[in-house]
Amino acid sequence: MSAIVIGVAATVFIMAFIAGQMQSFIANTIKNEISHIQIHHPEYKVEYDVSLTMSDIEEKLSDISKLENIQAVTSKTIANGIISSAKASRGIMIAGIDPEEEKKLTQMNQNVIEGEYLSAEKRNPILIGKRLADKLKVGVRKKLVLRFQDKDGEIIDAAFRIVGIFQTSRNNFDEGTVFVRQPDLNKLLNIEDAAHKVAILLQDEKGIAQNKEKLQRLSPGLLVETYEEISPEVRLFKSQIDISAKFIMTIIMLALFFGIINTMLMAVLERYRELGMLMSVGMNKVRVFSMIVLETFLIGLISAPLGMLVGYIAIQLTAKNGIDLSAYSEGMSEFGMSSIVYPALSSNAYMQVAVAVLITTILASVYPAYKAIKLKPVEAIRKI
Amino acid sequence: MSVIRAQQIKKTYNPKTIPVHALRGVDLNIEKGEFTAIVGPSGSGKTTLLNIIGGLDRPSDGSIEVGGRDISALSDNQLIDFRKKYIGFVFQAYNLIPVFTAKENIEFVMLLQKKSKAERDARVSELLSAVGMTDKIDKRPSELSGGQQQRVAVARALASKPTFILADEPTANLDSKSTSDLLDIMAKLNQDENVTFVFSTHDQRVIDRARRVITLDDGVIISDNIIN
Ligand SMILES: Nc1ncnc2c1ncn2[C@@H]1O[C@H](COP(=O)(O)OP(=O)(O)O)[C@@H](O)[C@H]1O
Ligand SMILES: [Mg+2]
Repeated sequence: MSAIVIGVAATVFIMAFIAGQMQSFIANTIKNEISHIQIHHPEYKVEYDVSLTMSDIEEKLSDISKLENIQAVTSKTIANGIISSAKASRGIMIAGIDPEEEKKLTQMNQNVIEGEYLSAEKRNPILIGKRLADKLKVGVRKKLVLRFQDKDGEIIDAAFRIVGIFQTSRNNFDEGTVFVRQPDLNKLLNIEDAAHKVAILLQDEKGIAQNKEKLQRLSPGLLVETYEEISPEVRLFKSQIDISAKFIMTIIMLALFFGIINTMLMAVLERYRELGMLMSVGMNKVRVFSMIVLETFLIGLISAPLGMLVGYIAIQLTAKNGIDLSAYSEGMSEFGMSSIVYPALSSNAYMQVAVAVLITTILASVYPAYKAIKLKPVEAIRKI
Repeated sequence: MSVIRAQQIKKTYNPKTIPVHALRGVDLNIEKGEFTAIVGPSGSGKTTLLNIIGGLDRPSDGSIEVGGRDISALSDNQLIDFRKKYIGFVFQAYNLIPVFTAKENIEFVMLLQKKSKAERDARVSELLSAVGMTDKIDKRPSELSGGQQQRVAVARALASKPTFILADEPTANLDSKSTSDLLDIMAKLNQDENVTFVFSTHDQRVIDRARRVITLDDGVIISDNIIN
């Protein structure tokens, strides 16, 4: 019985752990990278050509911000190029952002660990990642040269000064992306009132389908996508997590299955004489069989909620501060996983575990019950 | 009227490997209202004979009629039903379900027979008073002495109003006071209510109380005495 309680508690907790990890991954992806919905020129994602911009961007943004359920909206101009310091150079993606709006979407300002965030005052400021800064062997206030093609294919060289250095949990991102002000970049690219990407953060994720529809109507001819459509990782991760949760549940249920068989078999053997007596005085096989099944079921019925309660308490205790995996999670930040996991489980999942446990218990009771009815009363009584 | 009529009962255990001839041709007639002891040394075949009479086991050979019915022709399920209706069992030990009270242990046989609550309650108090255990109605077996447990077992065996009661060494685990108390109760039930008892024993004090003594030795009846 205590085995069942522990098994159920473990299942619940592991599932909560996995679910927490998934939620934090998705939340991180939304928060740091994708936002809820993005809009692009329909060919932009095929070609990544700087000329594939969306025009009249100011008007578009103000229209979008008037829609319901919009938390924040901003546009980005993106160019691919090479960044060089006196010591080294590397290929990077240059993101031209509206610093104030970007704050609301990705809270990029919070990732600045040295210097400061992009502001309106300085001339050609740039924000680069810590890893890139190390590779280029530069620090705050140092000058860098960006080289890229403008919309007409001309090679442009421009000097920027580092105002800040950021660090996120995603190494690739820190090494491969730099941030400048959108007007600075637009001017260099020779584009005006245009951008490559519009990112929208919603107040409530549940409304994402309706919002997508409305945005599509506002943006005829443009590609409107939700975060799940944009990020194959999120989709993959969701299904992967689903599979591994089911897998773990199956394994624990199997362990439970054999545990219950073992326990009940012992119980049947222990009560061999009692069962023999019951059958002698006229309890028939159907009754003996259902008695064992029912008994097992009752054990499940008591242990399952108890196990869930223990699991629930464990989840609540750890959910407050999270479980810090940083000691074991060297590689996790590469995939945008945070190293602190906050276990969380939906009531739906609790139900799933409960149903699985009850089914397992019933299935596991069949063999001991079968053993019980195979018992011959004479032999059972002989053992007296 | 014969309640048990057995003819040429033979029982061989492990006939294919190491055959043990537990009964080698037993003829037996038990009439309604008898108070009969089956005696004999250990291994003489007492338990085997009682099991066959009680429909718990089948003879290898011979015929057995209980209440005019040939029970060797019954299927396993029919045998269970037959035992439930016609026979009360008292075993040497483990007669009672440990988690049940005295009342519940008696009641549950009647539950198997789907008796009503009122009927069950009336019968339980009637039976417990017959075995002098009225004050122990709500006690569990662990709270009762061995003799008290056997008295509850007798009450349990009587609950279904069986044709007769089979008791295999019912006093084997009892001290002499409990043994004589239990036999008093059995004798009284036999006299007042004409309950038929067939019990096995090798205890001389028990044998002395029987009104008929059938002696088995090595699987055959060597003497059959009616005592007045
Ligand atoms: N299940 C069994 N398998 C093999 N031999 C058995 C079995 N039950 C009893 N016997 C043997 O049958 C003989 C009679 O046993 P039993 O009826 O128990 O005698 P009693 O009850 O008089 O002691 C003994 O020799 C015993 O060893
Ligand atoms: Mg015996």
